[in-house]
Amino acid sequence: LVPRAPPAPYHRTIGTSAGCRSTFNVQDDRDFQDRVVNNPKPVVVDFHARWCGPCKILGPRLEKMVAKQDGKVLMAKVDIDDHTDLAVEYEVSAVPTVLAMKNGDVVDKFVGIKDEDQLEAFLKKLIG
Amino acid sequence: DYDLIIIGGGSGGLACSKEAAALGKKVMVLDYVVPTPLGTSWGLGGTCVNVGCIPKKLMHQAALLGQALQDSRKYGWQYEEQVKHNWEVMVEAIQNYIGSLNWGYRVSLREKSVTYLNSYGEFIEPHKIKATNRKGQVTYHTAETFVLATGERPRYLGIPGDKEYCITSDDLFSLPYCPGKTLVVGASYVALECAGFLAGLGLDVTVMVRSILLRGFDQEMAEKVGAYMETHGVKFIRKFVPVQASMPGRLKVTAKSTEGPEIFEEEYNTVLIAVGRDACTRNIGLETIGVKINEKNGKVPVNDEEQTNVPYVYAIGDILEGKLELTPVAIQAGRLLARRLYGGSSTKCDYINVPTTVFTPLEYGSCGLAEERAIEEYGKQNLEVYHSLFWPLEWTVPGRDNNTCYAKIICSKLDNNRVIGLHVLGPNAGEVTQGFAAAIKCGLTKELLDETIGIHPTCAEVFTTMDITKSSGQDITQRGC
Repeated sequence: LVPRAPPAPYHRTIGTSAGCRSTFNVQDDRDFQDRVVNNPKPVVVDFHARWCGPCKILGPRLEKMVAKQDGKVLMAKVDIDDHTDLAVEYEVSAVPTVLAMKNGDVVDKFVGIKDEDQLEAFLKKLIG
Repeated sequence: DYDLIIIGGGSGGLACSKEAAALGKKVMVLDYVVPTPLGTSWGLGGTCVNVGCIPKKLMHQAALLGQALQDSRKYGWQYEEQVKHNWEVMVEAIQNYIGSLNWGYRVSLREKSVTYLNSYGEFIEPHKIKATNRKGQVTYHTAETFVLATGERPRYLGIPGDKEYCITSDDLFSLPYCPGKTLVVGASYVALECAGFLAGLGLDVTVMVRSILLRGFDQEMAEKVGAYMETHGVKFIRKFVPVQASMPGRLKVTAKSTEGPEIFEEEYNTVLIAVGRDACTRNIGLETIGVKINEKNGKVPVNDEEQTNVPYVYAIGDILEGKLELTPVAIQAGRLLARRLYGGSSTKCDYINVPTTVFTPLEYGSCGLAEERAIEEYGKQNLEVYHSLFWPLEWTVPGRDNNTCYAKIICSKLDNNRVIGLHVLGPNAGEVTQGFAAAIKCGLTKELLDETIGIHPTCAEVFTTMDITKSSGQDITQRGC
């Protein structure tokens, strides 16, 4: 008899095709500090949840658009159930919530699904 | 450190915490789920949200939809596909919804500035608790007032193999594989509701009952609930108790008759134990601070203000001695308690005439006294019971059971034929009963019911046209329109 699958603690996502190195899963608070807050490049942070339908649509779509930016922007994925403290710190209530971060500051944000054109515009604005 | 610490983040605990915080108090809620023997666990929200009312009603709905698909052909819907049910798809959808509820509760606690700890709370000395989280880290917290809202967990049978091979409702709603051929042990509403929807999804279901169905409920209604399930494919084995569960190959159950030497043996895919629930009051240090509990069942006796024998410790919800184990009751008790403690209110929780519904395949809704209780309290000669069979209009076209749905009201002749008990067995019983519960609170009498004009065509209108009494002995079989 199989127990309910527990959350996988350190699982690394391989983004689809070209997204390989531009997308990563945040492992813990320290990781978030190192790879998002202190990143010289701008980072979009995708707060998502396993039980959230729209997140499953937005996630891959955002990854694809990030991959098209030739490494000028990176994408960090945060599971809000695994990293509740981070979600609380950044005032996430509904998911998906996407933050645009530059030099450790939140410069832009949106909640819910966006289409590819809207995501493209969002990313271009962040890159500047 | 805190004005109020609540141990338990379920229906009662959360309602109380939010109300207290809204009144400006510094509140902490501790919620911790000890995993089942199989390792199942869940998030914030308590039994109702995670392994009770919510998933239960959704699975009941899944089963009803299966029945609706069958009826649909009679209404002209034509399709070739053989319709089958995918358990995993249903569980994933339900668990996703529950996940969003767990998150919603975390957000709402945060918004109301209630501190939430996912830790196991225990009293170590007066006014002080020790909180242990999943990683074993310990913190200590003090408060002026405490509320116990720890709820209950399913009881096991205490026979060889029960914890190793059997599951309970704690496991059923997130079971990653279809339960298949299932034996449900017990005759509580949990047992019958689960057996009901499992059968409705097309599984081979047997219910093993030691004595009566739905103890505590009106027995005439309970037997009708069981009879409908039996007519619709659920097998019942009555007056037997399991004595062993083993796994020589497949899962095998051995049971003994309660009346003789007969033995019963059968193999199943899944055995679901639903023989009762025990209060989670044994290992939280209550002895240390002197809170008295009923040693037999772990329940906490309280006065009519939910206060235990220790003045700064209160209790709400399923753990209360002698009170109804229902989410809305716990929520109401929690809210009113917070208002009395911090809002200057003196309103106490009213436990009389609380409506409930059992979501078996044929639903049973009730408000007020069971017929047996009414006879005991008032004497048969002082009661008038009106009753009627009815045929829901929606069932006529598909040719579903006639003279099966049933409604009755129990009136007190000593008090203007006041309605002291209302019972209905039929579709949407919960929706039907809710409104009448408000009427009963307003002192509903038979005369008022008769003066109320029914909505046609509905099932609920049966209550506005009840003429035949049990005492008259007249036949209530329906013929024609």
